[in-house]
Amino acid sequence: MAIENMAFLIPVLPALAFVLTFFLGKKLPNGGAIIPIIAIFTSFVISLLITMNLLQNPGQVVSQSYNWFAILNVGILIDPLAAVMLSMVSFVSLLIHIYAVGYMSHDKAQPRYFAETALFTAAMLGVVLSDNILQFFVCWELVGLCSYLLIGFWFEKPSAASAAKKAFLTTRVGDVMFLAGIILLFADIFKIFNGSIPQGVYVLRFDEIFSHIPEIAALNTQIFGFEVSHLTLITLLFFGGAVGKSGQFPLHVWLPDAMEGPTTVSALIHAATMVTAGVYLVARTFPMFIAAPYSLLIVAYIGAFTALFAATMGLVMNDIKRILAYSTISQLGYMMLGLGMGAVIGITAVGDSLFHLINHAFFKALLFLCAGSVIHAVGTQDIRQMGGVGKVMPITFATMLIASLALAGFGIPGTSIGVSGFFSKDPIIEAAYLFGESTENWFPYLFSIVAALLTSIYIFRLIFMTFTGKPRTSYGGHESPAVMTVPLIILGLLALVFGALTKTSFGNFLKETFGNNFVSIDIHALAEMGEYHLASHGSGSEPLIILWMPVIVAFAGLLISYLIYGMRILDMSSIVSRNNPIYKLLYNRYYQNAIYTEFLAVKVVYEGLSLAGRSIDRGFDWLVNFIGHIFMELADGLRQLQTGVVQNYATAVITGVSLLVILLKLIMEVF
Amino acid sequence: MIPLFYYLALSAIIFSIGLFGFMTQRSGIRMLMCVELMLNAANINLVAFSSYNADLTGQVFALYSIALAAAEAAIGFAILMSIYRVRDMINLDKINVLRW
Repeated sequence: MAIENMAFLIPVLPALAFVLTFFLGKKLPNGGAIIPIIAIFTSFVISLLITMNLLQNPGQVVSQSYNWFAILNVGILIDPLAAVMLSMVSFVSLLIHIYAVGYMSHDKAQPRYFAETALFTAAMLGVVLSDNILQFFVCWELVGLCSYLLIGFWFEKPSAASAAKKAFLTTRVGDVMFLAGIILLFADIFKIFNGSIPQGVYVLRFDEIFSHIPEIAALNTQIFGFEVSHLTLITLLFFGGAVGKSGQFPLHVWLPDAMEGPTTVSALIHAATMVTAGVYLVARTFPMFIAAPYSLLIVAYIGAFTALFAATMGLVMNDIKRILAYSTISQLGYMMLGLGMGAVIGITAVGDSLFHLINHAFFKALLFLCAGSVIHAVGTQDIRQMGGVGKVMPITFATMLIASLALAGFGIPGTSIGVSGFFSKDPIIEAAYLFGESTENWFPYLFSIVAALLTSIYIFRLIFMTFTGKPRTSYGGHESPAVMTVPLIILGLLALVFGALTKTSFGNFLKETFGNNFVSIDIHALAEMGEYHLASHGSGSEPLIILWMPVIVAFAGLLISYLIYGMRILDMSSIVSRNNPIYKLLYNRYYQNAIYTEFLAVKVVYEGLSLAGRSIDRGFDWLVNFIGHIFMELADGLRQLQTGVVQNYATAVITGVSLLVILLKLIMEVF
Repeated sequence: MIPLFYYLALSAIIFSIGLFGFMTQRSGIRMLMCVELMLNAANINLVAFSSYNADLTGQVFALYSIALAAAEAAIGFAILMSIYRVRDMINLDKINVLRW
């Protein structure tokens, strides 16, 4: 039996594990953790085998479709893009599950935890291997549901419950846009077919969508006096969904609050199963983006801005998990920027961005698991109360250091020496440079390079504050058990070498995504349609200083951090104070949270709804009372007839009978 | 054979007496008695038509009607007895607590 026929098991097994763990978990040791671990391990093995097959023959992708209803289908598509995502998601999720056996060992609700994370993984795997946009959306929503359940895992804590609600509602804003995009796309394709869809054509399957790109682009709508192509509209709506899910500005506010869940959940959300979905969506529909004028530029700008914006906030956070959360937002910004750079480097952008996504998944999962390990041992999340943890937890320290180096992106340009983040972040920054060169628009490059500097500063601030120096409070720390450290070491190795090993093969592999037996797309023709001017020469031909720039800023960041937080030579107390307006602005997260919750949520939505509700209530009240009043008045008149005098009733009866007789008589005379 | 007209005239007279009594009297017992008169006027009609048409159905109906009148009288007088015990009179004009 060919391995391709087992592809459907990849999401089905974890989903099955969800059911089993939910009902049987209580009777098994460790809350039945073994069930999802085995299921996800099997999914991982299948994904890996399919990926290997695909590596041999990238032109032959796995594509299976079955009729769902009418003109829609369910199906599986495993092309290079999906294959690397599948392998990464199942692998990282597997390690996190193993780690969670140790991390969650004291929690009473283990079966619920493992059941929900299994469902989370299943949903994400479902997103990845969907071959049509509707199935994609269904799984996407399932991911959102699971994130709600898991962020609010400790729902007895009010902060966790509200964080879960916030995550759900904020991503919903994006999801509604995504759904609107799907509906518009469906309507457009229906229009293109003149309403009669031939037998066997599934309108929302990706190959079908991509083959109609020119026709969709030709449809226009007037918005605020501008002629907007439907393709631009659809892609921007899709991107709106990605902004919500992937925590891009301005919908990133839920991600830092999502830290209320267990740390392992944060690792899952940030590395494997949730935030990457948005990037994946844009990558998956990349042919539409590149054919739509302005879309890729907006993706690039939002991405670059988010990268810098989040990094500035990461500088001042004191909660170890929040620093990592802002780091994730910033790195996701890089991925979006990478995709947006398709405006200048074409299809290569997907490879660059996905490469960063995979590397980021490894080192960010590692960072979170290390942070979890520290929190587990120290019992606090505030880095000001830590210090000197490195001596107590050498393995955690070593792996965390590797992850931080990978995040900051250390390496030597032009060689194969470097940590994974180096090989994936550099091409994006270089592409931003190329973009600046060809369009004279330097903002993406400037933003990304400053963000790289800030990244290095905040992550080493975390390292120095947490692991070096003397303990600032007394805590009885100890190294975590092997079930927790082994996943750390595995991830550490990957964060160290994955980038160097696959830096060229990865990009080449992903280039096959849009040219195979499922879809075959001429990216250059589409780019012309989208009015993007692809650079004739690839990256690597920039001046030496540009090649070295990311590494230089990374070192500069390390040095600044060391001087401030390691050696404590530079005194920051004058800057890091509530009196400094800039610090205050950053510490309060640009007051965006306040605007969203206190103004938008409380003032506009809550009070608006209550006003509307009150008015409607009053309207209905009046109507109901009015109808009641009519009958009251009527009854008041009619009951006067009930005199209580029997003779009156008798008179009525006799009069009635007499009238009936007279009537009968008259009728009989007429006929 | 007595012509049908006489029966019908008798019946109409008895019915009118009953109706008159029913409309003018205030005592519950008298009113019940008047109701009996009207019922029996109807019975006379039934039996007269029955005999005139040589069809027994009307007489059977009359029997039913008598049985019904007996039951009605029994219940009616029982109710009047109860009212009398409570109110010490059976003037139906004054029994009007359910009036508006």
